[in-house]
Amino acid sequence: MTLPDKIDEWIKEAETRPASALTIMRLVANRMRELNERNEELLAENIALQDGSRVQDYQKRIVHLEYQLEMLKRRLGGDPGLSALESLTEETETANILVYNVRGQVLRLEAGQASGRLGRIRDELAFNGEWPRVLSVSEQDELLLLFTSGRIGTCPVAEVPLSEPGSEWKWAEASLPNEPHAGELLACIMPLSNMPLSDYFLQTSRRGCVKKTMTSLSETILSKNYLGKGTIQKADQAFDALLCQKNDRHAILTYEGRLLGLDVESLPYSAEERIRLTASDYVVASFVLPQEASLLCLTQTGKVVQREASILELAKSPLARGQALISPARLEQGTRFVGAVPVRDGERIAVLDADGNLNLYEARTVAGAGTLEARALALSIGVVPAPAAQANQTTNKS
Amino acid sequence: MSIKVGLDFGTSNSGIAVYDGHRVTILPIDGQNVQPEVVKTLLYITRDYQAYIGQEAVELYYRDNVNRQRRFVKQWAGEIDYHGADMHYVRDIYVYVDELKPGRLLQYIKTALRKEGYRGTQIFERYYTVGDLAQTYLRLLKNRAEGILGEKIEAATLGRPVKFAESPENDRKAEDTLRQAAYEAGFKQVDFELEPIAAALDYEQTLAKPQNVVIFDFGGGTLDIAVMRLGGGERKVYASGGVDVAGSDFDRAIIQKRMLAHFGLGKIQHQPEILEMIQAVPDWMALPELATPLNRNTLDKAIRAGLAPARLKALQTLIYNDLAFTFYNRVEAAKIALSDSGATVISLDDKGVALWELYTRHQFENDIFDYISKVEKVLFDTLSSAGLEPGQVDAVVKTGGSSNIPLFSSLLGRIFGAKKVKQSDAFSSVVAGLAIRAGM
Repeated sequence: MTLPDKIDEWIKEAETRPASALTIMRLVANRMRELNERNEELLAENIALQDGSRVQDYQKRIVHLEYQLEMLKRRLGGDPGLSALESLTEETETANILVYNVRGQVLRLEAGQASGRLGRIRDELAFNGEWPRVLSVSEQDELLLLFTSGRIGTCPVAEVPLSEPGSEWKWAEASLPNEPHAGELLACIMPLSNMPLSDYFLQTSRRGCVKKTMTSLSETILSKNYLGKGTIQKADQAFDALLCQKNDRHAILTYEGRLLGLDVESLPYSAEERIRLTASDYVVASFVLPQEASLLCLTQTGKVVQREASILELAKSPLARGQALISPARLEQGTRFVGAVPVRDGERIAVLDADGNLNLYEARTVAGAGTLEARALALSIGVVPAPAAQANQTTNKS
Repeated sequence: MSIKVGLDFGTSNSGIAVYDGHRVTILPIDGQNVQPEVVKTLLYITRDYQAYIGQEAVELYYRDNVNRQRRFVKQWAGEIDYHGADMHYVRDIYVYVDELKPGRLLQYIKTALRKEGYRGTQIFERYYTVGDLAQTYLRLLKNRAEGILGEKIEAATLGRPVKFAESPENDRKAEDTLRQAAYEAGFKQVDFELEPIAAALDYEQTLAKPQNVVIFDFGGGTLDIAVMRLGGGERKVYASGGVDVAGSDFDRAIIQKRMLAHFGLGKIQHQPEILEMIQAVPDWMALPELATPLNRNTLDKAIRAGLAPARLKALQTLIYNDLAFTFYNRVEAAKIALSDSGATVISLDDKGVALWELYTRHQFENDIFDYISKVEKVLFDTLSSAGLEPGQVDAVVKTGGSSNIPLFSSLLGRIFGAKKVKQSDAFSSVVAGLAIRAGM
């Protein structure tokens, strides 16, 4: 049936039931508006194709992918055949937990399958007022170490010696994959395996400055060993770096319980302060919050505050205060957050307490109970992905 | 303690109700549905043979299937013996199986009961007979009802159409299969009542004096008519009749007459494989089965050759992105909307498909016009078997979703007089009547 025939039928309907004429006109007008919008999009696409900018975009992506492939080849020690890629997928099943301090000392432990106590650090925990951080990575991953000077270093996880689980550890026994230079501290460690699939490096500073860098620049970044501090003020210092996609939602949590959601796409390429903090407040967690995950925040006394991912509101203004997760009464009583992680079903969390104990908990039970059975104050939290999720894990720490 | 319930196992929707001698309570079986008393007659069976019904089935289907990945593997299916004049050889047969398929959604289980030659279906590694499917659905329905009542249900009065099938043998076979399925689902005592008569029992509650009543039960699978004397302590069935024309036929008519052009009908002339795929569009359950690598290749080639590329891309998206169920629901929603409005839009917008069709009541009435004569015929046949003239009928009670279609309402008004036509609850009058029958 041709369009004129259809129009004749619409007219017949309007003649039979005059009230239908208005409905038909409204539906046709809506359709015209939709088609007009679509037409504009197609025209814009056409212009991009004609002036060559679309071609340039694709060329850039090809160059980027070629570089990622080169990295993958290097990692596998030659041209990756199908069998090598399959073995890579299988290998990524092993999860490791890293505990590191600002002096660049790193302990590596196998996460195993069970929950419970992993061991204890029987040594000094705080250096320069910074607690050790907990991070979960795959054994086959490559690590990027970001220092407070903006310098970076890389190191395969497998090169960090494994520590004995269940025993007591000292920092002197820990590995020092990339020693900090004079005057700098280790700000954070992040895994690099997701880089080919990510759009940006995202940095957050202690005072809430945020900066993104395109992963297409990774060749330069890695060859020059420099990512940047990501800070504006002298007193501020780099806190965290992670990989993300342009459609992700970035979340920042502060010591005094402020949660700020940021749309990655709208973040700046140069460091900008995005959260308005009080003098005593600072950032304790920075992560990408997927829709299917829930947010698990840990207080220094071991209380767990769980929130659905949907709670995260994206900040509309360039400098926002964020959502308050701790009530004023609790703040008054001294409740503070030490960290937060996004968790999914089946994942576990690793918590380091002030006695140096490192414990693993099932996230589901912890969220349900609302508190950890910690004997001392909690210091750090990290998430251990469920086995199936490890291949494309995103790691978080605070 | 066990109780007896009325169970309406409908083609599109089902329900369970209980009667305490004074009042009928229709159980909120499907908490996720907009109308919790109505549960869609849909069954979703996952790869690990977990079964789900109603809105839960729909949501799981959408979550796990739409725009999912596929991976086809060649699987040995059996062998064929070739016998020639002077030779004999055996050949292996392979089929391509989508090993990532998470589950199968099944609709029209009740229609399958009466479908001649249809025995059952293969779901992953297991074969389900029609009885197995009905049993699975009824068992889950019963479990939900027991959960709500907090009591064991051991007996049920099930509704059945006046005619499951034209031939008495198939009709009996369909009822026996349903009865057996109900026993296997855990009901210890099962009896049947004709659906229009059940609807009449519900209407009877509102009557003060006896009336000659025509029950016009027009649902998703069949039209059932009963002519009865009701009220004032009298209850007599003069005649009953039925025909397998109903809502699903109208949906199919809309797709066949209006929508197939969007998928290439009329543009594709000499490609029988593609025409076959287009002709399968009205049957959404058959469509996922067409998602084979061979068909994809055929469509890809045609698209590359510039053969109605936009329409064939839409067809490919419909088949390979599992959008058939969504599409079918859009068509059904448009049909329902036309009961109140003079015009509506059937649209489907997804990656690769941008379908938009303004559809008017005038067009709809033209498309289903052929069914009017069938309905009129069965109505007059039943009246004549009852020995009544239209003027002797005091009330016509409409029930079932399709009875709301204005074309049929005006048909009834024309025959009996508009004042005599009464609307009972489209989805609950049958189940309410079945509960009353169960409580008798």
